Amino acid sequence: MNGAIIDLSLWDLATVYSLLLLSLGLAHLLKANQSRELFWAGLRMFVQLLLVGYVLHLVFALETPVPVLLILVVMIGFAVQTIGARVKTRMPHFYRIVGTAILFGCGGMTFFFCTLVIGLEPWYDPRYLIPLAGMVIGNSMTGASLAVERLAAEFKERREEIETALSLGGSVQAASEPAVSSAFRAALIPSINAMAAMGLVFLPGMMTGQILSGTEPMIAVKYQIAIMCVITGSVAVTTFLILRLGYRTYFTPYQSLRED
Amino acid sequence: MTAGPLLAAQDVIVRRSGERGQLQTVLHATSVAVAAGEILAVVGPSGSGKSTLLRLFNRLLEPDSGRVLLAGQDIRTLDPPALRSQVTLVAQKPYLFEGSVRANLAASARFRKLTASDAESTDMQEILALCQVSPAWLDKDARKLSVGQQQRVCLARALAGPCQALLLDEPTSALDRQTAEQLALTFRRLAERRGLAIMLVTHDLSLAERCADRVALLLEGAIVEEGPTREVLSNPTSAAARAFLSSPSAVDEEEAS
Repeated sequence: MNGAIIDLSLWDLATVYSLLLLSLGLAHLLKANQSRELFWAGLRMFVQLLLVGYVLHLVFALETPVPVLLILVVMIGFAVQTIGARVKTRMPHFYRIVGTAILFGCGGMTFFFCTLVIGLEPWYDPRYLIPLAGMVIGNSMTGASLAVERLAAEFKERREEIETALSLGGSVQAASEPAVSSAFRAALIPSINAMAAMGLVFLPGMMTGQILSGTEPMIAVKYQIAIMCVITGSVAVTTFLILRLGYRTYFTPYQSLRED
Repeated sequence: MTAGPLLAAQDVIVRRSGERGQLQTVLHATSVAVAAGEILAVVGPSGSGKSTLLRLFNRLLEPDSGRVLLAGQDIRTLDPPALRSQVTLVAQKPYLFEGSVRANLAASARFRKLTASDAESTDMQEILALCQVSPAWLDKDARKLSVGQQQRVCLARALAGPCQALLLDEPTSALDRQTAEQLALTFRRLAERRGLAIMLVTHDLSLAERCADRVALLLEGAIVEEGPTREVLSNPTSAAARAFLSSPSAVDEEEAS
């Protein structure tokens, strides 16, 4: 059972690329006009992943924390950039707020898991830290986008309500409470749904990967449960930080709603 | 009490960027004042800057220059929530929070962070009676009341605290004639019995006539005429004032839409 993993030779890879050729042929047959996209996507995948593979290979061999942390910083940078491109309405100071939230939310949860739960030796072991951080950041991006988007929508819809609360002497925090809690709820829904559907609809990627590489299924299952908790925790903390830092940007220094 | 006016704006100027980004002056060095127990009606056509002027007094807006005073004190020295708790704005369209009338009155105490002893010293019964909010409405869904009733609940909610002044933005524009007339009497009672300073902005001259002690006529961001209600409405001195007062109904239609 736990025999060595079956490596894929270059020839094997070439063989599976024939499936992309098949897809190209089918696209051509249906005049779908997708040949260029398919070709470039296939090529990009090959080059990008090969590069990542080499970088990881190098970082694994180096056995020092600096390159590992550097990779994590780059990942967070890309995540913030992606969220920025994804949401239509960005709050003022968007990049600073979302960057801080992801750094502390995702970073905090990942380190909590790696050091306190798994007990990594050394603490930066890239074989665990990089893929786990990648999963946590990737999933938290969805929550963060939802939080940013929803907060903007809530402030637009609830203008009258918020202004009424302010006019009665309510603080900025009290007046935005309904908007903030609604945005938080929206951001957490995908994580809740994912946990509830886990194992029923599909076998999650990490678990599949571990099983393929020879891990005992029960161990893979436990890891999957653990990572889902870490992801949910990270979405909650990241969203919380975005909302707590973000709602104030909708107000003037003298505590009235900004005109937009 | 203080000898001077309770609320005063001194030479306030408000500019706003227009549609093409150019700076427009919404209020030109405007000064108005209202004393405790007095009702000042700021009348003018839509777009004359009435609502902007009103929102300066509880600092929902800040003037580009000039000062706004509460009992002689610059409002910039006050904590905005504390200011708004004393100088309370009631919006044109009544906005009620989800839930009962009672819940809405409780929300006011919560936002104002009133302590139990504060709440006790507020005579809710008297406020409800003055605003003609029937005790029978208290447990009803606030949003299911008629617009006139909702406006009365908004008034009572505004008064449920250390309120000294009311800012009313077109308080009767959503109401029929008869309800509007009754509400005008309510404003009078609030000024006389509770000594509130009331500033209301309206394009409805009959509302001003019915309840205001003084009228200020605001045209294109400048006060062109100010004085006791009867004098301003029957004997305007400037040509602009005469033009507006002779055909306010044309404006009335436009603003009601």
